[in-house]
Amino acid sequence: MKLTESQIQDLYVFTRQHYVEHYDLQTELVDHLANDIEAQWQVRPELSFEDAKNRAFKKFGIFGFMDAIEQKGKAMNKRYRGYLWAELKTWLQLPQVLATIALYLVFYVSFSLGDIATIALIFFGIISIWCAFKSIQLNRQFRRRKEVSNKKWMLEEMIFRQAGSTMFVFMSQLYNVYKIPEHFGDNAYFLFLFSLGFTALTLINYISLEVIPSKAEKLLNETYPEFSL
Amino acid sequence: MSNSKLYKGSLTTIILKLLNEHDKMYGYEITQKVKELTKGELKITEGALYPALHKLEAEGLLDVEVAKVDNRLRKYYKLTETGTKETVNKLEELAEYIKTMQALVNPKLA
Repeated sequence: MKLTESQIQDLYVFTRQHYVEHYDLQTELVDHLANDIEAQWQVRPELSFEDAKNRAFKKFGIFGFMDAIEQKGKAMNKRYRGYLWAELKTWLQLPQVLATIALYLVFYVSFSLGDIATIALIFFGIISIWCAFKSIQLNRQFRRRKEVSNKKWMLEEMIFRQAGSTMFVFMSQLYNVYKIPEHFGDNAYFLFLFSLGFTALTLINYISLEVIPSKAEKLLNETYPEFSL
Repeated sequence: MSNSKLYKGSLTTIILKLLNEHDKMYGYEITQKVKELTKGELKITEGALYPALHKLEAEGLLDVEVAKVDNRLRKYYKLTETGTKETVNKLEELAEYIKTMQALVNPKLA
């Protein structure tokens, strides 16, 4: 005996009720539960769908789908970081490395010109406003995408929603920047590291908020063979 | 043995070994295959299997393929090139471990 289409849909609802939000993991668990239910029906055809479903779910243990959700999140975070790192590496190679060097020089020269804390705060302001604007824009895009497809993919959520989190890392340093003593601007070693830090954070923000979202379709198709099915 | 936690550390090796022998497999199939091969002595729990599969996928040892089967989508796992190499290492490690355990449990046989 095979499961009907409506029973499959019921399993999707069931996984959602058990905190599996993302379609990629839902699909895998739905197939597992469906296989288990069908195997039970081979031995005990009189079992109701509900009973067989609950028996199949019990096999996941007391934590249900939680371990699978947690590990999937970790795995997807690793994949996302991999994409971020791969993009960052291209900015250290020709021709993009020229832009990276130019950006670094802009920071270095600017910081050497006057009060380092004030100049850093101005850069902070510009970068933060841009990041906030992009985050809002990406969040809207994500909501629209979800409305159209009615599916939420884990990597898609990372690309469109978590991208802004690098901005918070950046913002968390605001107070430290504000408190930089003026004479630090005369220290070449400090200037070198400080400009390098600013360049790296600007690049990471740009890659996560602009480059990766613009490649979302390609990355999602690469990650999920079922994405275009 | 069914309640034993001994196999926990070997779960990765079991998955890799099975995928090495089969072109591709899906989650439920893996649990059933282990049950069948060990005549029910070893039971891979669902709660442990999927986290292990996702970890191996993230490490680049497994690749995935999705196909429509009956009225649902099925995710198949298969070994990548790195996965195939890692399988050999893991099996060697396990064989070495079994040898050591044998020497401890039954010194005469070792």
